[in-house]
Amino acid sequence: MILSYEEMELILPELILVLGIILSILLPNVGDAKMRLPLTRMRIPIFIGGTRFKLTADPRLPGRMTVAIFSLAFLFSFLEIKSASGTIGDVIEVTQFTRLMSFIFYGALLLACIATTYRMPAKVTARAPKDSDSEARSNALISALMDNRRQVDFYILMMMVGLGMSLMAMSTNLFFMFVSIELASLAAYILVAFHKEEATGGEAGAKYFIVGSVASATGIYGMSLVYLWAGDLDFDTLSNSWSSMDSLDPLAVIGVGLMLVAFGFKVSAAPFHLAAPDAYAGSSSPVAGVLATASKAMGFVALFRVLIQITMPEEGDAFWYVLLAIIAIITMTWGNLAALTSRNPKRMLAYSSVAHAGYMLAAIAAVGSGLGSSEANEMVLIAIVFHLTILVLFKLGAFLVLSMLEIEGRSHQLKDLHGLASRDPMMAGSMFIFMLALAGVPPLSGFLSKLLMINGIVNISAGTGSSSADAILPWAESVDPVFWLAIAIVINSALSLFYYLRICLVMFFEEPESSKPLRSAYFLRNSIIVLTFLTVFFGIGSGAEYLLGLVTDAVSTM
Amino acid sequence: MITSDPLTFITISPIALGLALLIIPNIAPPSMADYIRKISRSLSMSLALAIFAITTMLFLGQIGNTDWLNITQGTYVFENEPVILLESIGVRWTVGADALSFPMIWLTAMLIPISMLVEWDAKKGHIFHPLILIMEGALLGVFVVLDLFVFYVFWELTLIPMFFLILIWGGNDRRYASMKFFIYTFTASVLMLIGILVMYFNTNDPNLAGTLTGHHFDLVSMTMQSSGDGLIASNGLRHFVWILLLVGFATKMPSVPVHTWLPDAHVQAPTAGSMLLAGVMLKMGAYGFIRIAVTIFPESTIIFSSLLIILGMASLVYGAIVCMGQTNLKRMVAYSSVSHMGLIFLGIATMQPLGIAGALFMMFAHGIISPLLFAVAGAFKHHYHTLEIGSMRGIAHHSPWLAGHMMLGWMASLGLPLLAGFVAEVAVMIAFWMTFGWLVLLPALTLIITAVYYLTSMQRTIFEGGDPHVGILPESLHGEEPRDITWHENTGMLILGALTIIFGIMPFIFWDMMSEWSTDFMIETLISAMNSQGVKP
Repeated sequence: MILSYEEMELILPELILVLGIILSILLPNVGDAKMRLPLTRMRIPIFIGGTRFKLTADPRLPGRMTVAIFSLAFLFSFLEIKSASGTIGDVIEVTQFTRLMSFIFYGALLLACIATTYRMPAKVTARAPKDSDSEARSNALISALMDNRRQVDFYILMMMVGLGMSLMAMSTNLFFMFVSIELASLAAYILVAFHKEEATGGEAGAKYFIVGSVASATGIYGMSLVYLWAGDLDFDTLSNSWSSMDSLDPLAVIGVGLMLVAFGFKVSAAPFHLAAPDAYAGSSSPVAGVLATASKAMGFVALFRVLIQITMPEEGDAFWYVLLAIIAIITMTWGNLAALTSRNPKRMLAYSSVAHAGYMLAAIAAVGSGLGSSEANEMVLIAIVFHLTILVLFKLGAFLVLSMLEIEGRSHQLKDLHGLASRDPMMAGSMFIFMLALAGVPPLSGFLSKLLMINGIVNISAGTGSSSADAILPWAESVDPVFWLAIAIVINSALSLFYYLRICLVMFFEEPESSKPLRSAYFLRNSIIVLTFLTVFFGIGSGAEYLLGLVTDAVSTM
Repeated sequence: MITSDPLTFITISPIALGLALLIIPNIAPPSMADYIRKISRSLSMSLALAIFAITTMLFLGQIGNTDWLNITQGTYVFENEPVILLESIGVRWTVGADALSFPMIWLTAMLIPISMLVEWDAKKGHIFHPLILIMEGALLGVFVVLDLFVFYVFWELTLIPMFFLILIWGGNDRRYASMKFFIYTFTASVLMLIGILVMYFNTNDPNLAGTLTGHHFDLVSMTMQSSGDGLIASNGLRHFVWILLLVGFATKMPSVPVHTWLPDAHVQAPTAGSMLLAGVMLKMGAYGFIRIAVTIFPESTIIFSSLLIILGMASLVYGAIVCMGQTNLKRMVAYSSVSHMGLIFLGIATMQPLGIAGALFMMFAHGIISPLLFAVAGAFKHHYHTLEIGSMRGIAHHSPWLAGHMMLGWMASLGLPLLAGFVAEVAVMIAFWMTFGWLVLLPALTLIITAVYYLTSMQRTIFEGGDPHVGILPESLHGEEPRDITWHENTGMLILGALTIIFGIMPFIFWDMMSEWSTDFMIETLISAMNSQGVKP
């Protein structure tokens, strides 16, 4: 055995995913093929090829199987959150934090897969003309076959995204981390471009791919500089050599700076965010939801590793904090202003996710300022991880509601949301809650995470303000500039209310173009309802307490 | 639960029952759903009546046996055992009532059954009455909770039923009105939330503090802290927070210049919606302002008292002048609300126990009179299909009851002695004179304008007519003979009219506790604040 039993248990969810990938390659091809043993008349079945069995050739199979695989991985991640700890080889370390992250990733991907089974349904029976031999009939059959063939591609890519993200969170080595990120990213590029029949799909994919590869290349170049400087890529070694450095080595600083470009692209921080709105708007809503939640969480884990774990000094400020603070403020302001002016709901959500990245970057910058105690810093990290966790609920939830619209129509204009309240009150109600949570209205979970973030920044910085100043201006001059990050978050949150509320308003006030109710889409609908419930449940009361406890434990093992 | 923790019960039970009545018919089997739809309005009414009975018993002392006159400022009765809602950030479910909030609680509990009664035959009653029930829970929640986080949640929660009441049962322009209503009040309350957060970041009671953040939302503790060194150390920040809170509360009250949502919302809202909007929701603004901004930041209130006078005066005068030009009955009553709310700011700005008590009584009296006026306006719309004042003459002949209620309501609103409005106005005026001397002429003269617009419209609608026996009927009736109001409208208006008279003759029922509270507040909070600011009490 390559892996011992304990090690297998440690990475059980990932093994399940690998199994799923292998199975979805094999299963659709299982048939009754036989091979004649040479020189005999005996024909033994080899199962690969021949006439496909009806059960395994069902085009709905890959979707269902992937949902099952992700459910299992999700479940086992959850079960292991409290107990996980151990290392495999020199590159994988499983902690509560990595399990929490994979829990987030699998949850998001599971929901996206459920949505995709409705968004991109398999055609079990092709609608072909009746007459037996016409060209139209064979064309229809072929196109149905091609459509069904695409099913398995989509779901394999989804599983690869999940595997890459999860391994990325577990890696303790910069190189392995990069390879995992690329595994997830390359699959994501294809997923963005997957709807090639739509004009925007291919363009979005190409744009995302080109910008993404340039960012990755820059990051790898930075990594090579870091390797040149330290001679190793292991996080612990890098961290040790960083802290033993007397003055900043330009090689290391440039290397880390270039790596930030790659991660900045992943979290869609300005000015590397420009491809994100196009990618979100061009891809199908479930995929866009994954990009906005799981992919973003992946980028932040990378930032944690490089910024907090490696380059954060024991005392004093980190070299990047001013730069990151500026980037954060530009990111959130740009995101919000662009979202205000965009008329496409998916673009608007994309820009809102840029703005959310800005809030979290601001929180990291506050940690980097080195003003706070270690408890204050840890609280900010808890706030960020908590925000990443609950983002899956309401950001992805909003994208799932858009998927509901996409099943039969479109969702790339504000017009498509008009009158949703009269067409489908349940979905409109859910969307309303998601929007309020995104805006951060109490008592929803979005408020809790924002409050924790602002509180963290204030705790870190407000102590520096002079308490004897008796007017607002002298006090503002005396306080450390980090405090203004909190103000920036507050102002931007207030600004963001307008575009979130605009979505709510058009759902309730505008007349719909067609009064046709949405398709029932049983599992997708119920998933959205569950997400709505959880958005409230994790905002106040014991639910929030439980999740915060989970996140606190996880962050302490980071 | 009812005797040990009555305030929690009256807050939670209407929300729970209202939600249940809205949700269950959608998921239950059809026969059961039909049955629930049929009984939902009676169920809502019975719970509303039960809550009214409970609050009345709280007042009379059957539950808890409270001596309402000896509740000093800062102590609360019927406090519950706090339930921790969110330990990490310090949110607790804690309720309590004092002389400031109790009249409002009783007013809410009294108005809800009446507004249900007035719209007893509303269309889609199985949604309408549960929505009003949810509204009741949210309104009571605002008045009873002593935790700012929960306060804010209830504050926002009141928007949702009201929004749907306007959107579903409103007039022709309901979309515009409900959108404007939502945007105005929501934006304002976000500013208020920022103010609350700044206060939150300055709390430091280690017993209540959240485990993660080290701060808490507890209002009582914030008030205690403010009487020491002040909740926020820096004066400038304190004033800033006060201004944020003022914007949030003044929009709800509403005060000029952020009042423009009110006439639109009122004109479009259904009768019960208007009654609750004018009767209780406007008072939420005044209540929150006194409970949070004035109590926690008395120094800022003193420094900015001239701003309060300007706002109050502007609302009073502007509202009255605009009223004179209105031809729409509801719009006129709405602007008269703006005008009367101005008196509350004036009362607070006097910094006299009498003036503050007058402001409190104004909240209460206006809470009885304006629902009566809106009930009348709604019945008018219902039976005459128009709200234009000039379109008809001599309704006393056709609808004697309606005309009677209309007269009583308008007389009470213009401040006729022996009716509830008079007490409040006179108290504010006296206190204003004591503080600002002859400046009192301005608000006093405005009362004449009030009398002018009420008396002219009264003359034009109720009495004057071409033929004294027929009058002139509006064209919207298409020649039909109008009927007098229905029994349920009549009952509701009779109760409100009776209360107007009772509280005009015997204002001491609530006046005594209000005046005790104001005196306490003066002694314990305002005087020390005035000394620190160098202002003579």
